[in-house]
Amino acid sequence: MAYVATRGGERAIEQSERLFREEMGGFDRQRVEEVKKSLPYLIDRVMGEASLYDEDLAALALAQTGGELYEAVLLLRAWRTTQPRLQVAEPIEQDTLFTHRRISAAFKDIPGGQVLGPTLDYAHRILATDVLQGEGYAPEPVEPAANPSPAYQPSVSAWQAENDLLEQPTPDGTTGNDIPDLTREPLLFPSKRAHTLQSLARAETGGVLALGYAAMRGYGQAHPTVNELRLAEAEIAVTHPDGRQFSAGRVKVSQAEVVDKKGEKLGIGYAATLGWNEVKCISAATLDLNSPGAEKGSATEEEFFLYHTEGVESSGFCIHFKLPHYVTFQSSLDAMRDAKAKKAEQSKSSDMEPAE
Amino acid sequence: MLATPTPSLAETRDNAAFDALLWALSRPGLPRDLPEPGEQSIVTALLDRECLVYAADPLLMPEIMRTGAELADINKADHVFLGAMDTSDPLADIIIGSDYYPDVGATVIVRASIGSGPALRLTGPGIDGAVKVQLGGLPDGFWKVRAARLRYPMGFDLFFVDGARVVAVPRSTTVEEF
Amino acid sequence: MSLSTLTKPWEAMSYGFLDGSAKRELRRKMLKSVAVPGCQTPYASREVPMARGWGTGGLQVSLTLVNPQTRVKVIDQGADDSVNAASIRRFISRVAGTPTTMDTLEADLIQSRHRIPEEILREDQVLVLQVPNPEPLRPVQPNMSIARQMHADADYGRMWLQLYEQIVRSGRVMQGASYPSLVHGRHVMTPSPIPRWDVPKLHMAKHLTILSAGREKRIFAVPPYTKVEPLVFSDVPYKVEEHGHLTCTRSGATGFFMNEIPQDDGSSAFEVSDSEWGVKTIRARDGEGESRGETWYKDGEMSE
Repeated sequence: MAYVATRGGERAIEQSERLFREEMGGFDRQRVEEVKKSLPYLIDRVMGEASLYDEDLAALALAQTGGELYEAVLLLRAWRTTQPRLQVAEPIEQDTLFTHRRISAAFKDIPGGQVLGPTLDYAHRILATDVLQGEGYAPEPVEPAANPSPAYQPSVSAWQAENDLLEQPTPDGTTGNDIPDLTREPLLFPSKRAHTLQSLARAETGGVLALGYAAMRGYGQAHPTVNELRLAEAEIAVTHPDGRQFSAGRVKVSQAEVVDKKGEKLGIGYAATLGWNEVKCISAATLDLNSPGAEKGSATEEEFFLYHTEGVESSGFCIHFKLPHYVTFQSSLDAMRDAKAKKAEQSKSSDMEPAE
Repeated sequence: MLATPTPSLAETRDNAAFDALLWALSRPGLPRDLPEPGEQSIVTALLDRECLVYAADPLLMPEIMRTGAELADINKADHVFLGAMDTSDPLADIIIGSDYYPDVGATVIVRASIGSGPALRLTGPGIDGAVKVQLGGLPDGFWKVRAARLRYPMGFDLFFVDGARVVAVPRSTTVEEF
Repeated sequence: MSLSTLTKPWEAMSYGFLDGSAKRELRRKMLKSVAVPGCQTPYASREVPMARGWGTGGLQVSLTLVNPQTRVKVIDQGADDSVNAASIRRFISRVAGTPTTMDTLEADLIQSRHRIPEEILREDQVLVLQVPNPEPLRPVQPNMSIARQMHADADYGRMWLQLYEQIVRSGRVMQGASYPSLVHGRHVMTPSPIPRWDVPKLHMAKHLTILSAGREKRIFAVPPYTKVEPLVFSDVPYKVEEHGHLTCTRSGATGFFMNEIPQDDGSSAFEVSDSEWGVKTIRARDGEGESRGETWYKDGEMSE
């Protein structure tokens, strides 16, 4: 029974998972809490890519996968997809965002002022090695400004639109349940506007950066100016079946508008995501800015960048090459050997032909 | 580890209804049993809030509304419930999809009597040679209007319901009347 | 109306993992893919607890079709005990309570990657093939929008040209697995990366085949008794792998698709790729009873 002896598949996969888990050790609720508290930006990134806003679940996913980001996002997406869709929240207007940070590179000052907010932009990137020597790391306390910056502001592009500087996108009146949902229908091209923005919102940060960076370096037609970058909290307003509207809480969101000269007006690219993720928003908005009229097959063409920045799909396909492919390989081998034999035969017969 | 879930009654019914629909569509002209008489099990197996539905029969409306599906005119609907037909006119408005997306063509459910009425000869995918089927209670000119509307791969797909029995005629089937 | 009417009682996991709306969408799309054989129908393709590219498309179809009575067989490269086949089989039975089998003849539903079993499938069986790349035109046209236009126009000229160029260059068609085939005389489809050996098994078969690409979000089907014709020129016939004369060193089976196992001495040994066929052949040889069914190939030749 030679065949039966080789049937170790089930046991092998079980033991290989145990090995992975054993090296990582167990974890509990407390570990999840620590992950959540200590790594908020990682939590944000994972929630954005999973399109699921729940800090506890995101922290759990990170703890369960030992920080393997692609695995963590897949865990969350696979959980998310089985949840019922109870309600569609009201659309959020930009001037209702509770804003922590809002900057513009396009103007020295903007209505409402440049609000620097929390950022490492101007920090000196020095590794705090003394912590490893036993020193504590206690951040200096923040000194509140005399005049708090306004919490609610329209976007900078609203001002440009008012001044007829902006090539206005066609307004889309779709609301509620009619808004296309990428997680419930396939992405088809030309992509629906909602699908494009949703796809960018859940795109893999590194992937968006790579393609966005290519566009910034010159493989795109447009050069981005950051019109507005914002970190904020958005109120999620839903309607109870009895008709009353209520707040289901606030979620952290980030958004970027980038602009470029387009004839006599400014063209605009836009992206937003759950959680605070500036690199992703600027890169995604840059791709959006570059996408109209982009050449087919170029990195700034919608089909190209939306497909290739889908982290769960790209990472899954990448690791699937580990699976056995010996049937397909055998099939190619057969064709190669036959072609080789044919060639050998051909050269043998042409050797014997008399010269002309 | 989470325990293996067991199917609810609704899940079991929907699963059986779809099994019948898929089997029937894969073997045009051959009848199959739905889990219960009428269109209800088709409604719950297929429809939800992603669907645009036209129903000629007001009695089906509550069941359709419960799925969250939106009611639509026949020329917009992806699922069309025609009930017992007395004219072939509705066939003229059913969507047939596009060359790009033939799958947008509608799924159409009609009440008919299976095994009595005019004999038809069906050929095409799913059929071993040819199959003969009798479908009664359809309006005059039904098959002519259907043939005129189809531009394969564009077209619509028909399910005929007679009590708990269902017979399918997809767009890929060629129908000849005797 | 209350919130509870919008949802259903909480359960840790839906039967078959997928929730009702995911299943309904798959049902609607499966019907369309059967109605237009070989035509790629887009679907939402939800995430499942397995990585994309690892059979998530086939899995979603299987999870939608099964009930607690469905006997499920899962193979990868022809083998039931391949690690990923074992993983998928275990998952399906864990979330749907389905009985499993390795015997092709016992199975109601067979999910497979890269092979079709050697025993002839019956009318009551469904074959679900996992598909990595659903687009047969990808090698000549990577852009999906343009490829869709080509399908709409039945514009397969570049496909033919590619095959012609291979013949000119190499003296034969060099396509290995995934041999492009014309379905119902209208749509060119990839049969998934099954070897050329397996493609004739789809032609006018008794069973229904559903092909599903989870990552690429496309589903297509070959109903029973449907023409599936590999693209060939009339003067260059279709050639399956030259395995008809090979003998399995383990079971002694001859005339089936084989795995080649390189040997230390530079030679090759062969073992039959359909592992359960190998097991059945060994059982028959050892006098443990005959459990082999009819096969598509007889004496290494596809029977008519």
